[in-house]
Amino acid sequence: MVILFDFQQFKLINKYALRDFSRSYKKLWVVISTLFVSLLLLSLTFSIKEALNSEIENNSKELLGGDIQVDSDIDPLPNQVIEQFNELGMVSSTIEFATMLSKEGESPVFTELRAVDNKYPLYGEVETTPQDASEKIFSNNQKPNVLINESIQKLLNVSEGDDIVIMGQKFEVAGLVASVPDLAESAVFGEFAIISMDSYEKFGLSSGGSFLDHKYRIKFNTLNEIKEQEDIINSIIAYDDRIKTRLPGQSGQSLSRVIDNFSNFLNLVSVSAMVIAGIGISNTLLSFINQSNTSIAVKKSIGFPSSFIQTMYFYEIMLILILTSVIAYLIGVFSPLLANEFLPESLGINLQPSFSALGYLNIFFIGLLVVLIFSIPSLYSISEIKAASLFRNTFNPVSLNFSFKNILLLTILVLVLTIYFVSQTNQKLYTVFYFVSFFGTMLIFYGVSRLLIALIKRIYKFSNNSYRIAYRNIVAKKSLAPIMTISLGIGLTLLLTLSFVANNLKKEISDSIPSLAPDLFFVSIDRDIKGDLESYIKEVDPNAEIEFSPMASASFISLNGTPIEEVVSQNNRSAWVVRGDRRISWSEKPKLDNPIVEGKWWEPGIEDELFISMDSRAAYDLGMKINDKIILNILGRDVTGTITNFREVDYRDISINFAIIINKAFANKLPYEYVGTLKSGLPSSEILAMVVDKFPNVSAIKIDRILKQVSEVLNKVFIAVTAISLIVIVVGLIVIVSAVLVQTTFRRYNNLIYKILGVDFPTILKAMTMEFAVIYGTLIFFALSVATVSSYLVVENALQLTWFFDFGLALWILVSTAAVSFILILLANRSIFSPKVYPLIRNE
Amino acid sequence: MNASIQFNNVSLSYGEIADEVEVLKSISFAIDSSEVVSIVGPSGSGKTSIIMLASGLENATKGSIKVNGEEIVGLKEKELSEVRRKNIGIVFQSFYLIPNLTAVENVLLSLEANQQYGLEKDAEELLGEFGLSHRMHHLPSELSGGEQQRVAIARALINKPKIILADEPTGNLDSVNSESMIDLLFEYTKKSYTSLVMVTHDNSIAKRCDRIIEIRDGHIV
Repeated sequence: MVILFDFQQFKLINKYALRDFSRSYKKLWVVISTLFVSLLLLSLTFSIKEALNSEIENNSKELLGGDIQVDSDIDPLPNQVIEQFNELGMVSSTIEFATMLSKEGESPVFTELRAVDNKYPLYGEVETTPQDASEKIFSNNQKPNVLINESIQKLLNVSEGDDIVIMGQKFEVAGLVASVPDLAESAVFGEFAIISMDSYEKFGLSSGGSFLDHKYRIKFNTLNEIKEQEDIINSIIAYDDRIKTRLPGQSGQSLSRVIDNFSNFLNLVSVSAMVIAGIGISNTLLSFINQSNTSIAVKKSIGFPSSFIQTMYFYEIMLILILTSVIAYLIGVFSPLLANEFLPESLGINLQPSFSALGYLNIFFIGLLVVLIFSIPSLYSISEIKAASLFRNTFNPVSLNFSFKNILLLTILVLVLTIYFVSQTNQKLYTVFYFVSFFGTMLIFYGVSRLLIALIKRIYKFSNNSYRIAYRNIVAKKSLAPIMTISLGIGLTLLLTLSFVANNLKKEISDSIPSLAPDLFFVSIDRDIKGDLESYIKEVDPNAEIEFSPMASASFISLNGTPIEEVVSQNNRSAWVVRGDRRISWSEKPKLDNPIVEGKWWEPGIEDELFISMDSRAAYDLGMKINDKIILNILGRDVTGTITNFREVDYRDISINFAIIINKAFANKLPYEYVGTLKSGLPSSEILAMVVDKFPNVSAIKIDRILKQVSEVLNKVFIAVTAISLIVIVVGLIVIVSAVLVQTTFRRYNNLIYKILGVDFPTILKAMTMEFAVIYGTLIFFALSVATVSSYLVVENALQLTWFFDFGLALWILVSTAAVSFILILLANRSIFSPKVYPLIRNE
Repeated sequence: MNASIQFNNVSLSYGEIADEVEVLKSISFAIDSSEVVSIVGPSGSGKTSIIMLASGLENATKGSIKVNGEEIVGLKEKELSEVRRKNIGIVFQSFYLIPNLTAVENVLLSLEANQQYGLEKDAEELLGEFGLSHRMHHLPSELSGGEQQRVAIARALINKPKIILADEPTGNLDSVNSESMIDLLFEYTKKSYTSLVMVTHDNSIAKRCDRIIEIRDGHIV
């Protein structure tokens, strides 16, 4: 292509391109629309992700609740430590634990309860209805007050001023809490309540056992020398390894991770849509060049070199890219304002639009890569147009130019696109895998279309006119088969795969898990009441299945002498096992549903040695081996243990399972409590109400409620994911419609000849239906095959669930896509059904 | 006199060795500057091929072709384009105006290809001389056949080329339009000392030229 050093020549290219664009833009609508849709999706994803991350970063202190947070888990910090904190700034302490909230006549509700002091929150505000409700919980009324969230209000059917019972103590509902600045997940998705620290202490609610979580937030007196003050805090708490600190930058990390993962998915969908749009760009550009072949030949005959004409068309495409990317980016920039309307109020998030040149360049660069990849073979076809054809008045249509030089260039550009995407995500392996699968699937579908044409050519003897016309259309040089197979095939495969995975997961949650899972999950049962509780349940329902397991808290310190933080990265799938406090259990014998897959169970009765049994999957992820030495901190004491075996643990049925089990003889010395499960023939709400009434300090989770909540969230996520993946199909359909429109002149001419020869409209319609059925039939066979294999791999390997095939779902997707595609093709083709004979006779 | 176009033992073949078709068989001739030459012969004899070779739009299989003294056989596409821009104007039988450009824009195309900008007035003047002042801003689809061919000739002449190659310029016109078109071409070439090489089937037009080259079966007769 011409290097634009010559300003006069650049002006000429600019003039020609603008003139051509203003007079031919209708022919380029598919380039404009598909490029715009895919750039818009990309821009929306980037803008909302940026706005969310910037909101988290700007509000990091509010999200943490202070300049620093000290977390001492079960035990409160000694007074002298808090006094030292007080010298540095204002200190607010909270205690969080799970308990039951109940009301007469209603099923008790498992709730995340937060006890706060009157300094809470140090940053931001607690938003309540009525506005002064948060002050009431600190008033010295005879009856203490509680703030509840909307979910509890609905479940217990209470309103302001009503009484609810927390661990046997009556509390008056002061109001509803809409949001708290230091975002609690329960405040958003589950049940969440706030009481005052005084109430907590006064009414002796401190029976949260090992699930108590003491937190201290500090707002420094001076904001200078923050690092030094953090160091002082760390030196104050250095006496106990279990006490951890968190800084504002770490407060939104888990939320940021979720945002990153989801935006990565959206980016991949966007780039998929853009690649499909690229197919449309390539096809439209080639048709445009073929339609302009005389003009191109004339320009060549006058003395314009091919490179000038290529540059002119490329410049035109660049203008479209700049125009569409600027509009898409601007819509993206303001999209956070719209997104605010859809975010739950309890999140307390207010996204702000932000413009950045770098953000725009990011989108433009991705668009440029895709445009380059798909326009190069079309633009280079210009060199095949011969001006000498003007003397002969014969023009052969040119095809995409895949010279060695072009193939090399395209390979480099595809690699740059992949590397650019991979470099922007934390999930590099998945992204590479997606790109490889995507381009692999594209090649499969291209091969499928060629195979179809080759096969049909071999069985060409048809006695029926419709079949003959359909056959000729499929094997014609301008056949719809390749473009339809690739454009629709990719989108359909993506939609089918996502729907199959989603359906498998939904079925697991709605059918498989409930049939296996217990009805109630008891949390933190004091060992003194365990016997009474068990007897009482047996009294209520003699057939109830109850299982209790002892439990204590421990934290990982090191693996084979290396601190655990250095061994396990943040992104490790099983990092949760070694992060923070972990509940461990013990047993004399291996559990039947936890088969040993490597190593041996320990000999009973050895009290002075710690033996460890690990979940095999976690051990694999964390790089652990049999006989590795682990230091666990159990109740403030570092103990070295040996890994003796790995168990296969299946967490799916929500029965009691532990990643870490130790030998019972060693654990006998430890203070402990119990967790338990109950499966009963009685309704879970009924039995829960009776248990909480009798044992106010017992907390239990209703599994069906949790499953319902998870199911609801998943449903919303799946609807969003499926809707987004539909964009790929929409772009694919635009590309197909454009391909149909490009063929209209050619088909109209053919149909005109058929009409003159006496072929009627129903025969042509039947031929078109046959053509569609053969191409669509072939593509769904392969789309279904690829989607089935990929969803099987995801469900069986990544999710570790049992895969099943939903015929009804597949049929619904395929039939509805077929119907929409066929109707669109018919609409695009409507002008060819009744061609006028006059123009042909006049050779117009 | 200097030769504007010189063919020395030029051959042109199409196809592979097995089914090769030799269109021109080692022909040689020269056309002087300001000479008006017609090329005649039956269909398929190779008349148009001579124009295609002289314009550099087709590559000779053998021999040497010089345009204004410059050897053009073996030049690259870009170099051939430059030779065309500087020396040659082409008139086609089917006019070949660019459909989405107006008459004046079609004429300007030749100037702009030669990096001459801002000469709209020159183009308008020339079209005026050709009797098209009232049609300058019309699209080709709004012009008659005769008008279209006049625009095409103006496009070929605006650059003041040293050579005009015309391939049956009156082939798509009626006799009245043909006559006036040829007058226009002859008048202009004489006035500007330009060589004109014209392929024609029309003997009356051929006879008006300084010389006639007759081609038969790829040979000059």
